[in-house]
Amino acid sequence: MSSSIGEKCTNIKQEYDSCFNSWYSEKFLKGDASPECDDLFFKYKDCLMKVLEEKKLDTLLADARKDNPFPNASSSSSAPSSSSSSTNSESTRKD
Amino acid sequence: MKFFQATHKFDHSWAQVTAANWMKYPNEQCPHVIAVDVLDRHVDPETGVLRTERLLTCNQNAPALVLKFLGGSTLSYVRETSELDPKTKKLTMRTQNLSMCNVLIINETVTYTVNPQDESSTMFKQEAQIVAGSALSRFSSYVEDFCLTRFRDNAAVGRAGFEMVLEKFKAASHEATSQLEKATVATAAAAAVNAAGASL
Repeated sequence: MSSSIGEKCTNIKQEYDSCFNSWYSEKFLKGDASPECDDLFFKYKDCLMKVLEEKKLDTLLADARKDNPFPNASSSSSAPSSSSSSTNSESTRKD
Repeated sequence: MKFFQATHKFDHSWAQVTAANWMKYPNEQCPHVIAVDVLDRHVDPETGVLRTERLLTCNQNAPALVLKFLGGSTLSYVRETSELDPKTKKLTMRTQNLSMCNVLIINETVTYTVNPQDESSTMFKQEAQIVAGSALSRFSSYVEDFCLTRFRDNAAVGRAGFEMVLEKFKAASHEATSQLEKATVATAAAAAVNAAGASL
């Protein structure tokens, strides 16, 4: 199974992949589209998003989505509102 | 701008081909694809279409000096979006490189559909558009020709590799998913489909 871009996310990613691959062949293709791997996916995505931010790939992806949007599920919010408001650390300046 | 187009028939069912497609990496024929991440995935509640957005992380093959000259890093990134309709049995995957866009832009679209003449096989169609980026505009014709040739070679290798994956997949199709994954890992895969853009 393939690794994640973030080393620390690889285990949870592979757990998710296993779940998805079984679900795809055994449920989805047989007409049952009810989700089964969401918990794993959200855990994996939490980990992944932090890594993407660290690597500054989140902005690259946001730009790519402007040109070629990825349609949202009707349940999720329409804009990927990332954490742009967190300016929590004011560095103390000493001259 | 250059265009590349190829079609191929896989002697495997659409279900097998699309299931194997999710497990394509890692594999020996595409060692440069070092990570595959799922950014988003959902089933559209109205249409039943499975949508997936993935990020492929690749090692650049280009010599270090070239990368330095072009200002690129040793890693490159490819974004892939796909739509899979289980009713019409069509999988469409679109990829574009996210890095080195000032050098080269490759837009690729791949579809897998059931062969209307023989439902036990799958039709594969691949189209790519290759555009030299601004950094190389003076040499665009040369660069595009070079990349087109390279893309074509990769595509052929990739299809042959994916055939091998499918053979193993078929043999193991009644076993556990983990077994299938091992079979996939052990052989090759459709390099061109996702990785050609990244490998350039």
